[in-house]
Amino acid sequence: MKLSRDTGALGAAALAAAAALGGAAVFAGVLRAHAARTSHQRPSTEPWWACPSSPSPALVARGRTLFLNSCAHCHGIDALGDEGPDLHNLQVSDRYIARTITQGIKGEMPSFAKKHSAADISALIAYVRSLPPG
Amino acid sequence: MSELVWAKLHGAVVHFPVALSLCSAALDAAGFLLAAQPVARELHRCGRFALLAGTLGSIGAVISGLLMTRGGWFGHGLLRWHHVFAWPAFGLLVGLSIWRVLAGVQPGRRALGCYLVCAWLAAGLVAATGYWGGELFLGS
Repeated sequence: MKLSRDTGALGAAALAAAAALGGAAVFAGVLRAHAARTSHQRPSTEPWWACPSSPSPALVARGRTLFLNSCAHCHGIDALGDEGPDLHNLQVSDRYIARTITQGIKGEMPSFAKKHSAADISALIAYVRSLPPG
Repeated sequence: MSELVWAKLHGAVVHFPVALSLCSAALDAAGFLLAAQPVARELHRCGRFALLAGTLGSIGAVISGLLMTRGGWFGHGLLRWHHVFAWPAFGLLVGLSIWRVLAGVQPGRRALGCYLVCAWLAAGLVAATGYWGGELFLGS
């Protein structure tokens, strides 16, 4: 009797967990579709499991690693923009990019001053500069 | 309404599942070890409430997180690591909560033993989720 109650409860629990995850996935899909419709920025179409591609100089490679860890979740894995803007063909100075990384943009982008050293920022700038024009 | 409200709400509610799932697992482990004592039932009762409250917090965390990222359920870089632990933790917490509600305050000892393994696994996954979430915002 006790065992069957536990087994029944286990089945219901597994169903509830699956329903919760499924519900969250559906909710995420609806939100993502809404974001894609309302945003002027193009969401990344590259799958999340995609590996870094072309070989590049050491600084650019380091910049890409840093970019993937700190920036890609907003700017997209290919820097084409997602939550944040497209970073290809930036018409601003290196100094401006460095300042944006270290100071952030109020209400839009956090400051990365504590997270990244000057060398890291140089690598990030090198990577952003290496991106082909859109 | 500013989109930052979801980021702030996410930051506020994520601490509930982190703290309460760990508390719940610890309380139930204490109840399991002190099974012969009268206090065991109360420890399990507290453990169950802590788990349910933590799961409610995790639902709030998931909803605010999805709204914050506008449906980004996996992401890249550190966000991906955050989600690698977040989704299994969320599923496990919901499943364990439903099981605790249906199984009563003090389930059988064998079932409770299995539950404790899952509860500590969930607590670990939630803690790892919190760690990568912290890395996302604070870094090192």
